[in-house]
Amino acid sequence: MKLRPALLALLIGVSIPATADAITVKAVQSPSGVETWLSEEHSIPMIAVNIAFPAGSAYDPSDKPGLATLVSSLLDEGAGDMPSEAFKQALESRAIRLGASADRDYITVTMTTLKDNADEAFRLLGLVLTRPRFDSEAVERMRVAILASLKQEDEQPSTVASKSWFATYFGTHPYARSDSGTPSGVQAITIDDIKTFAADHIVRDRVKMSVAGDIDDAQLRRYLQQLFVSLPTKTVAVVPRPADAGRPASNVIPRNEPAPVAMFGFAGPMRLDADFMPTFVANYILGGGGFSSRLMDELRDKRGLTYGISTYLADYKSSSLIVGSVQSEKGKILTAIDVTKSELARFARDGATAKELADAKTYLTGSYPLGLDSNAKIARTMNAYQRQGLTPDYVEKRNALIEGVTLAQVNAMAKKWYDPSKLVIVIAGTPDAAAASATGKQGNTAK
Amino acid sequence: MLKVKQAFAALAVSGAVFFGYVAAGETAPAQGVQQSGQKATQFQLSNGMKVVVIEDHRAPVVTHMLWFGVGGTDDPPGLSGAAHLFEHLMFKGTKTVPPGELSKTVARNGGQDNAFTSHDYTAYFQRIAKDRLPLMMELEADRMVNLDLSEANVLTERDVVLEERRLRVESDPQSLANEQMEAALHLSHPYGRPVIGWMAEISTMNRAQAIDFYKSHYAPNNATLIVAGDVTPEEVRRLAQEKYGVVERRTLAPRPDVPMVPRLSESRLEFAIPGTNLPQLFRYYRAPSYAKGPKGTAEALDMLAAILGGGQTSRLYQSLVVDKKLASSAGAFYSGYNRGTGQFGVYATPRDGVSFDTLETAMDQIVRSMTAAPPEAGEFERAKTRLVAEYTYQQDNQFQLANDYGQALSIGLTIADVEDWPNRIRAVQPADVRRVAQTHLVKEESVTGRMQPRP
Repeated sequence: MKLRPALLALLIGVSIPATADAITVKAVQSPSGVETWLSEEHSIPMIAVNIAFPAGSAYDPSDKPGLATLVSSLLDEGAGDMPSEAFKQALESRAIRLGASADRDYITVTMTTLKDNADEAFRLLGLVLTRPRFDSEAVERMRVAILASLKQEDEQPSTVASKSWFATYFGTHPYARSDSGTPSGVQAITIDDIKTFAADHIVRDRVKMSVAGDIDDAQLRRYLQQLFVSLPTKTVAVVPRPADAGRPASNVIPRNEPAPVAMFGFAGPMRLDADFMPTFVANYILGGGGFSSRLMDELRDKRGLTYGISTYLADYKSSSLIVGSVQSEKGKILTAIDVTKSELARFARDGATAKELADAKTYLTGSYPLGLDSNAKIARTMNAYQRQGLTPDYVEKRNALIEGVTLAQVNAMAKKWYDPSKLVIVIAGTPDAAAASATGKQGNTAK
Repeated sequence: MLKVKQAFAALAVSGAVFFGYVAAGETAPAQGVQQSGQKATQFQLSNGMKVVVIEDHRAPVVTHMLWFGVGGTDDPPGLSGAAHLFEHLMFKGTKTVPPGELSKTVARNGGQDNAFTSHDYTAYFQRIAKDRLPLMMELEADRMVNLDLSEANVLTERDVVLEERRLRVESDPQSLANEQMEAALHLSHPYGRPVIGWMAEISTMNRAQAIDFYKSHYAPNNATLIVAGDVTPEEVRRLAQEKYGVVERRTLAPRPDVPMVPRLSESRLEFAIPGTNLPQLFRYYRAPSYAKGPKGTAEALDMLAAILGGGQTSRLYQSLVVDKKLASSAGAFYSGYNRGTGQFGVYATPRDGVSFDTLETAMDQIVRSMTAAPPEAGEFERAKTRLVAEYTYQQDNQFQLANDYGQALSIGLTIADVEDWPNRIRAVQPADVRRVAQTHLVKEESVTGRMQPRP
């Protein structure tokens, strides 16, 4: 991809954006065997680190949802000999940023430091991983904070729709649970639960670490020793694939909302399957492409039905989804869903055009460097690739994979995956059905 | 896209939101005003358009932003939301580019685009491979003067904005409360009107009003161009002259500098907005801004916010959350990057069973502690270290960098103000922090809001 693309575009008169001089990602040999990727960038004196442990909410006990999130919230609440306030002061006095969060599969610890403070930053990070305190004061404080944020989440129709959608789609599988937990689950968690969870999951197995910024291989290897060598070598079971997830459904959660939110979706290809890349491109055309997507055109630009609609591929360790959401006035939300369904059906039936595919490719390849233009973004992206099971040279290969997708593949994927009869739909907020039929007529005549 | 000022959103950036940029080894430009030690270069085109170039050569990409000196404060009376709705209409086509086609063209060239509106300014931007910069300039120069709106497009986009308001404000009790508190705080000053507009007023805007707004505010002599990325000042100057330099300046109505309205009493608002689950206590104060305050005041207010309520070692968190266990969260924030007055805020979320009266009494006690004595050495130095380090961290994000310069220039600051910011933070003394607390955290300048749960 080093064809001086700018010049080429001028010659043949089509848009082929410049590809990035891809960043260089290398695997660093770690004494502990932990998979570590490094991207060096020395123009700004800072370092960004992401570390993922297989410790997500899918591992929460079924009667204690919220355990992974509570553990993640406690990782920066004291370590080694320092209780919470002393530990926070140690971070602040060197302007070190450190935090952790949980999703369905992983707890991700992030750290950013100035180069000058790297020794101290990695020392504190090592304490977080190997000697977290879980003091009862901090546990109770974080428990109260999480219970408050759960209350606030329930104020938002978008989170209500999303939580209910996952519960509906996954049924009894652990992915059905929200990663933020439930009030009763968070109430039931004991300090022993927290310590056991950390001992079982903050271990060397399947840890993924990525580092970007002003640091070299040798310096990083010194730090790796203190981060991981004393961690246990236990293995963490992979979450089983769901057996009977995704039965079509259409549910309404009655709430008095001026503008209900609908979340919709169905199964998608697994990240490492051959279907993934062509489906990723297909999804851009249908609903992933921001102002350029078909759904945005039909619902927003032509009909004024919504501020925004998008669909995306959500890949988990043991399942994969194609999901989207749309919010619209209660008299219009049913129309918005109808238009969405008919666009899905048209996409499955007729596929995309050659022009749409060409436009998707120029966007997806041309915009790739925009996601890799800062240390924070590089560390985050590398860590995501590691979790997905990709190799360090993926950054260099990725645009060629996009270029290789054919129209026949896109159309086959549209047919295979975008079947509106398979939709699981959850609407948070009571639609106004009477107004909907009136708006529907209006919507059809609008340009 | 609308930038909504929100307590928690403001808090997340811990006080200061703009910082300069220092990189090693850049060469001095052949032309343009760049003093030694400065990273950004500034010059002006003959039609009055200001240009700022910020070099960032790490990736072959650029951030191209065009800022106009128009915002929510310029909404005509009775037509709140006009500047923001008009921002949407700027995507609805010109004589040569069909409606919606600008964003699609940007995407087809591998770029991303969007826009945002505040009370003080409106900005349009693209992030794209550097060799596409000339095309971006052509597209922006075109819609600066050649917008071609149809009545149908205006009405459809008005519906989109009404949906945006439902999504951002009507569906969120905290946004609704915030909007009412700002209205109470600023009284009849235009900062009291929401940028997105009141529902009933957005609904009345038509094509003729949109075109009038366009002609009154959009011209090169009311615009600032920011280009950050893998470019040199020389090449941007040449391109800007070629693409933007041909756009003729126009005489615009002078922009009013609306004076602050006197406040003679505190305001108190009790909310019970349907759908509220979590009780919350907010206090907003009017406070000087970086643009309007005496030198050093805004910097001291940034330090005050950090010490009083910037994170878990702050006084509010340590007292209300850790020691007294009255709140599940507590903090403070300061928004100083306004053309008019700035805003300082404190907030706390009561724990179950804690009354608003108890919580507010305890919160006031901590706020008063900042006026009773200068901050202690430890908390003062930690806050300073953290704020100054933000200057380096901020360099990592090219969009943010471009945004910081654009915002500063749009409210009347200079690139020197941006780049000297860490030095001015270093110069703040403990006594300054106490003084700004004494002067500005006063009841008459405040609005207190209590959000009661209501199913």
